[in-house]
Amino acid sequence: MPDLPELNPVVHGRLRLALLSLLSSVEEAEFTWLRAKTEASDGNLGAQLLKLEEAGYVAVEKKFVLRKPQTLYRITEAGRQALTEYVQALKQLLGAAIGT
Amino acid sequence: MHEHSSEQELKDRLSVIESMIAEGRRRTESWGWTFVLWGLAYYVALAWSVWGHSAWAWPATMLTAVIVTVIVASRKGGNHPETTLGRAIGSIWIALGVSMFALFLALGLSGRLTDPHLFLAVVSAILGMANGASALILRWKSQFVCAVVWWVAAVATCFGTGTQSTIVFVVAIFLCQIVFGIYGMIAEGQERKGSAPIHA
Repeated sequence: MPDLPELNPVVHGRLRLALLSLLSSVEEAEFTWLRAKTEASDGNLGAQLLKLEEAGYVAVEKKFVLRKPQTLYRITEAGRQALTEYVQALKQLLGAAIGT
Repeated sequence: MHEHSSEQELKDRLSVIESMIAEGRRRTESWGWTFVLWGLAYYVALAWSVWGHSAWAWPATMLTAVIVTVIVASRKGGNHPETTLGRAIGSIWIALGVSMFALFLALGLSGRLTDPHLFLAVVSAILGMANGASALILRWKSQFVCAVVWWVAAVATCFGTGTQSTIVFVVAIFLCQIVFGIYGMIAEGQERKGSAPIHA
């Protein structure tokens, strides 16, 4: 039986996974949009985004639009790669789980 | 990590990925209101041109509809991020608006917009093109049905009498703008109800 893959712990967190999946489908997104889609609290969302940023999976840009502060998040190439690998590992694990 | 992950947890993660990617891509249905707005605008312009006999009926109504669309879209869209798909669909409708406005304004000003059959046929064909392109990109069968209705209307308006052509156009507007727009709004509302909060 082949070795089962490890799931990336940074990506595996439910909210972090949701954030990476959301960001993979758009070019960039505002903090408020991510909050609305995940229905997470500001503190939790900020903490999980920081973890993703520290892992190099998400890039942050802060700017002012019409004098209002705006924080934009975008998935990096490393983040996209990590998500792809996570999905492949997940499918392999699920395949193995169904097979047993 | 997998030693600690149950099958249910793995399935849950897969479902989170699928639902969030779908959420990020969801955009077109939130434009249902524009179909209704433009359907009503076509009715106003048509009624104004038929009973008011004004050359400004179409340009004035269309310009008003553009302004209302821009204002409402900027308020409704809010902080929704841009996607390649959204930009592709949006560019079809912007190009349609610019083409129709430039063409019919020029034809009107030059005095060459004398055949109402031709006007209705061109409008129907262009709307069929935009709906068809959007439907093929989104793989949205119901919008493709709208495209077919517009193409049929484009052909029918070439052959019918003035009254028949107008009736065909009015019916096409009702089906492809009003009914389709309301369907889009209902679909969006149902999708919103289905979303659940995500926790870490």
